[in-house]
Amino acid sequence: MKNRKARLLALTAAVIFSGSLVAEGVRTPSMLANTCAGCHGTLGASAGDLMPIIGGMEKEFLQMILLEYKTGERDSTIMGRIAKGYSDAELKAIASFMADQEWVSSPVKTDAKMVAIGQKIHDKQCKTCHEDNGRVQEDEAPRLAGQWPEYTMHYLEWCHSKGKRCAPRKMGKRVMKLSKEELKAMAEFYASEK
Amino acid sequence: MAMFTRRKFVKAAGACTALGALASISACTANTPKRASGGGKGRVIVIGGGYGGAIAAKYIKLADADIDVTLIERDKKYVSCPLSNEVLGGDRNIDSVTFGYDTLKNKRGINVVQDEIVAIDPDKHTVKGKSGKQYDYDKLVVSPGVDFRYDKIDGYDAQAAEIIPHAWKAGPQTVTLRKQLEAMKDGGVCYIAAPPNPFRCPPGPYERAAQIAHYFKMHKPKSKVIILDAKDKFSKQGLFMQGYKKFYGDMVEWVSGAGGGIIEAVDANSRTLVGEVEEYKGDVVNLIPPQKAGKIAQIAGLADDSGWCPVNQKTFESKLHKDVYVIGDACIAGKMPKSGYAANSQGKVCAAAIVATLNGQEPGEPSYVNTCYSIISPEWGISVAAVYQLVDGKIVGVKGAGGLSPMNASAATRAIEAKFARSWFKNVTADMFT
Repeated sequence: MKNRKARLLALTAAVIFSGSLVAEGVRTPSMLANTCAGCHGTLGASAGDLMPIIGGMEKEFLQMILLEYKTGERDSTIMGRIAKGYSDAELKAIASFMADQEWVSSPVKTDAKMVAIGQKIHDKQCKTCHEDNGRVQEDEAPRLAGQWPEYTMHYLEWCHSKGKRCAPRKMGKRVMKLSKEELKAMAEFYASEK
Repeated sequence: MAMFTRRKFVKAAGACTALGALASISACTANTPKRASGGGKGRVIVIGGGYGGAIAAKYIKLADADIDVTLIERDKKYVSCPLSNEVLGGDRNIDSVTFGYDTLKNKRGINVVQDEIVAIDPDKHTVKGKSGKQYDYDKLVVSPGVDFRYDKIDGYDAQAAEIIPHAWKAGPQTVTLRKQLEAMKDGGVCYIAAPPNPFRCPPGPYERAAQIAHYFKMHKPKSKVIILDAKDKFSKQGLFMQGYKKFYGDMVEWVSGAGGGIIEAVDANSRTLVGEVEEYKGDVVNLIPPQKAGKIAQIAGLADDSGWCPVNQKTFESKLHKDVYVIGDACIAGKMPKSGYAANSQGKVCAAAIVATLNGQEPGEPSYVNTCYSIISPEWGISVAAVYQLVDGKIVGVKGAGGLSPMNASAATRAIEAKFARSWFKNVTADMFT
């Protein structure tokens, strides 16, 4: 229902805004975004472990990340190499397509003790930005609830190593003070929140 | 279910404003899976349920549930070539690279049939199975992988390959080669004869050398792996040589084609490879022969003199037979390598073209990606990536994008890439089989 209505409105919008667009050789959002699935799973619902779930993430956040990969502002092993293959408009189209997908939480089983430790840290230090246990996505805060813990851990470790240079700075300042065990507990906690 | 909000409207509009005027209308409607008219939009048959075929079948159904899709696969289970080198290295077993078709059948609404297609009649739009059954199609996708040019190497054939396995189609041959490595005495030599271009999985033989050396290092440290190459250079060469040296020292040796690596004949019983100048007698011999498009592509006249299948690189429709599409290793796809990721990407482009055509629309502009990881040591991974587009009817890499892992990357980065390799495998196989 939602999708059909959205597409109908989207058509109208496309007609209205089409004046400024390139007319030839345009690739559809699905054509572009389906190439991501080889690593990020069908429609962005990653099957694990180190590949983040991106289907259902906030559009603005995904756009920002993809553009940062493209410019090299954001560190990566491979995403920079791939993001450079698309125009900014195409990256935005990919972000929009992924944002329109349903978020499918990781089915991973979590350790109750670790989750409890993670919850405490979250309540004390993270919940102002990552509201509703990491479910709310706004102001550049990505969804954390239900993300694969290996990925969250990977990101937290990266942020830990960056310290104050981790963006946003206020997050880096907090993460750099946590131990590896505590970071792991955070990753477990968010994975437990479906 | 979420409410339809202004925010969602903006989101969806954003997706389509990236498109052209008229193009955007067809593109956006093409994304809408169901039409009111119901079934009977057309019958698609896909031959071969691997990296290309399983994806084509699934993505046709995802885009338009009213198209009838039948996937015909010879085997009950699929064994993946990617990551099968880790079976040889001993870090995983064959079951971990083996997949079934139940989810495609039950969840995706694909009619999965176990049969081997032995004939295609492109005029009548029918294919015939070994079972004697005949199947009708409106559009046919052929994703048969590779076949071997046994005739290029004297004394090599399917029977000899039981003694000196190619293991270039994962499955029983992988297990045979692993058993031979396990049975080999310490101090033995394993030869890998790498094929000339073009062939399936360009970095594959070199990852295999690393994985076998990994096993030797742990269990048979006096042994050697020697690659006899038909070529003078190979994929990710610098990164592989760096990794060999770091982890395996002089356990791994590479002999170029010009240096005597070209193999012309074989004596299977004595496990001897005959080069232009020298003979190489090994304790374990893995001969990967020259290749061509899979058997059914040859039988059906889909291949040209090169042995591979020429296609329209925008849609993957055969240049030789109308309404027949060839994807994956078997087709000639411009600059794309013959890899699992490439087949996945081609399967999606082909699926979109078929869905558009069956809906009376022009196929859209394609987009393709390739990513190949290689695991040199359990915590040392490397990769090559590329993004492709269609220019003047040919698939070419986007300039400035893609490329190799850097030579000077840290150990931490290599470790992450090895993890990414395994996570990639989880995702690409989930994309195929779930």
